[in-house]
Amino acid sequence: MYHLGLLWEYLKNYMKTRLTYRADFWVEVISDLLFQATNFIFIMVIFMHTESLGGWNQNEVVFVYGFFMVPFGVFSCFVNMWNFSERYIVKGEMDRVLTRPAHNLFQILLENVDPPSLIGSFIGLVIMAISGANLGLPFEWWTIPVLLLLTLSAVAIYTGIYTALTSLSFYSDAPTGILPLMYNIQNYGRYPVTIYNRAIQVLLTWIIPFAFVGIYPAALFLQRDEMRGMAILTPVVGAVFLSIGLLCWNYGVKRYKGAGS
Amino acid sequence: MNAIEVQDLRKTFKVQKNREGLKGAFADLFKRQYSEVTAVKDISFKIPEGEICGYIGENGAGKSTTIKMLTGILVPTSGQVSVGGFVPYMEREKFVQNIGVVFGQRSQLWWDIGVIESFQLLRKVYRVSEHDFKKRLDELVERLELQELLNRPVRKLSLGQRMRCELVAALLHNPSILFLDEPTIGLDIVVKSEIRDFLKDTNREHGTTILLTTHDLQDIEALCSRVIMLDDGRIIYDGGLEELKQRWGTGREVQFQFGAATRLAQLVQWTEGMPVTWTAENDLGAKVWIPLELNVSDVLARVVGAADITDIKIIETNTDEIVRSIYQSGSADKPEDKIAALQEEKEAAHV
Repeated sequence: MYHLGLLWEYLKNYMKTRLTYRADFWVEVISDLLFQATNFIFIMVIFMHTESLGGWNQNEVVFVYGFFMVPFGVFSCFVNMWNFSERYIVKGEMDRVLTRPAHNLFQILLENVDPPSLIGSFIGLVIMAISGANLGLPFEWWTIPVLLLLTLSAVAIYTGIYTALTSLSFYSDAPTGILPLMYNIQNYGRYPVTIYNRAIQVLLTWIIPFAFVGIYPAALFLQRDEMRGMAILTPVVGAVFLSIGLLCWNYGVKRYKGAGS
Repeated sequence: MNAIEVQDLRKTFKVQKNREGLKGAFADLFKRQYSEVTAVKDISFKIPEGEICGYIGENGAGKSTTIKMLTGILVPTSGQVSVGGFVPYMEREKFVQNIGVVFGQRSQLWWDIGVIESFQLLRKVYRVSEHDFKKRLDELVERLELQELLNRPVRKLSLGQRMRCELVAALLHNPSILFLDEPTIGLDIVVKSEIRDFLKDTNREHGTTILLTTHDLQDIEALCSRVIMLDDGRIIYDGGLEELKQRWGTGREVQFQFGAATRLAQLVQWTEGMPVTWTAENDLGAKVWIPLELNVSDVLARVVGAADITDIKIIETNTDEIVRSIYQSGSADKPEDKIAALQEEKEAAHV
């Protein structure tokens, strides 16, 4: 309750500050959308040349892409740690965070909420609805609750991986290269993993499990039985990776050195 | 009961060594060299509840590192810390509910929103009830005269205004221990003395224990009954300010203004047999330095009887000078002891 209350307060403040810079707000929304549009066009181009991608047709791949956007939007909204190293470690703002009575990671996430990213999630839902209708997918009583559960699990996977990587900032001053690299790898998760070679499949499933934020859970709705087992595993993978991320983080905070005087 | 207890506290940082030149930078890429820097070296002290304690030392002496360990920001390398009954870094979230922190160089407030909204947010973070919050805020706002500032965004406040708001932010949840890291840095004299008065009142009315670091010794003189002086990670003095002055003040200086020209030789002759030193400023003015063991009135008696004096001023060694000389010698032992020790060392070397 306390945490939800805080979330609401921070969101209110976000609105107050952001609405004073209105132009900036819209630029962000539009650039987000354009970014997604380019990815989407890429899928279209692929299917201009081929009927199926590893046994998946255009509507299925588009559906997977739509699902991929939903947890990604939620994650980008609530877990935005891009400038953590610079803002909290180099400038030493971590000092302030650590002297307040709420968990430090939670405070940092709250201070960086980015609600415009949620628009991506809505568009993802629309894409799922359209391509789902094209495919004639049934809408069952469990569709919404399962979608919710899988989305939360996927967000947990993202959060776990990025939290673990961001916590490297506590050890080294500038772990610059890794985050953009991850950002690129995660995009692999929105295509059928079966199109990649074995090594990449293992990598995307068990080591950096980005297959669980796109293709596996989406396959459940697409009634792809070969991936059902994986889809059901999603919440477990989410819990495991979130725990790893939090452990790394809590350990890293103990190594925090502070900045300046 | 002690608000703060510190026993053999130590903090070591691993610092990366950068080798020189392009070749060195390239070598660093593959094999890093580290050196260990000990910022705080096994210090121990206790601060009883309700005390205002000054924590002073040169830049890099380890003041901030100590404060950061006491507030739970840094985890000590070794030693015990107990603040308000908690081990700061262990139960951080519970512990910080009980303390207030002001870093003079950093803001606790949100930059873009009104001051009052920052306070509201902090109210939620610290779980202060609406009723207590209102009472406390009214009290603080009135005391620090912030009525007009409450709706302005923090970025539009002057440093003095912001600092007063920072104090409110740190005290909204009525902490029993307040840590201040250079609270008066960069402020003008009026704001400085306002803040000093405010801290004194807070301490008196609420019994708040205050630990502050500062470079402005007037803060210490105005506020602290006790000072802890740090040099190179070690405590070199811990005790009352008066005691420090007595121990280190080596003498007093008396300034004379004469009605008629008075020569230096004449002055020296009047005080013959006394271990005093005269310096002439001009024909009508002179200074005499009187060591502690000598009574100022004895010297005055001799001069006043003989010369035509228009003005007399007695100057005690001020804290600034005392502290400067302690910093320079790196020890708070009496200078004579130091010299004696040095001589002994020399003799030993000769043998």
